[in-house]
Amino acid sequence: MKNRLRVLRAERDWSQADLAQRLEVSRQSVNAIETGKFDPSLPLAFKLARLFETTIEAIFSDED
Amino acid sequence: MFCSIKNPAERRYVFRMWGMAAFCILCSFATALVFRHLHPHGALAYLVACLPAVPILGALVYTGVYLGEEKDEFQRNVLVQSLLGGTGGILAVTTTWGYMVDFAHAPQLDLVWVYPLFWVFAGISYGLVKARYR
Repeated sequence: MKNRLRVLRAERDWSQADLAQRLEVSRQSVNAIETGKFDPSLPLAFKLARLFETTIEAIFSDED
Repeated sequence: MFCSIKNPAERRYVFRMWGMAAFCILCSFATALVFRHLHPHGALAYLVACLPAVPILGALVYTGVYLGEEKDEFQRNVLVQSLLGGTGGILAVTTTWGYMVDFAHAPQLDLVWVYPLFWVFAGISYGLVKARYR
């Protein structure tokens, strides 16, 4: 699944480790989600949306 | 050693697994000593022979406990895939070996090796799964 995590993270000048700390997950998790290799669960997607003060649809896209 | 692991659930898991490994060595030596010097028979022999399996079962239970305690869903996913790889690997080897014993009279595989082999396959699987997400 495509996502805008890298862009949103860059806008805030956060590293993957910073985002991982805020989400209480590992840096590897953030990297796997960011590269589209791992789709987060709905609770984690909501957590991301809340953290970036946006909607899930604004972060994730189901287009190939 | 355990302090270098930041994730509390993972730290507890590693600590428990090392504990079970030490307990397993202790139980194996104790069982060997009992059979060498006391020569138990009947039901008692079966009971004493099961002793080294207790920490093995404990390690499996603690693996399940870790999956319940781990809050990071990605890490959980990696471990579950690794355990599936381990299960698949050991099933493939033991089934193939079974046919080799049946038809080609290959030597019997000592069942004691199933558990360590499972972790060998799970370890290989873990490396492959991690590499896929890198």
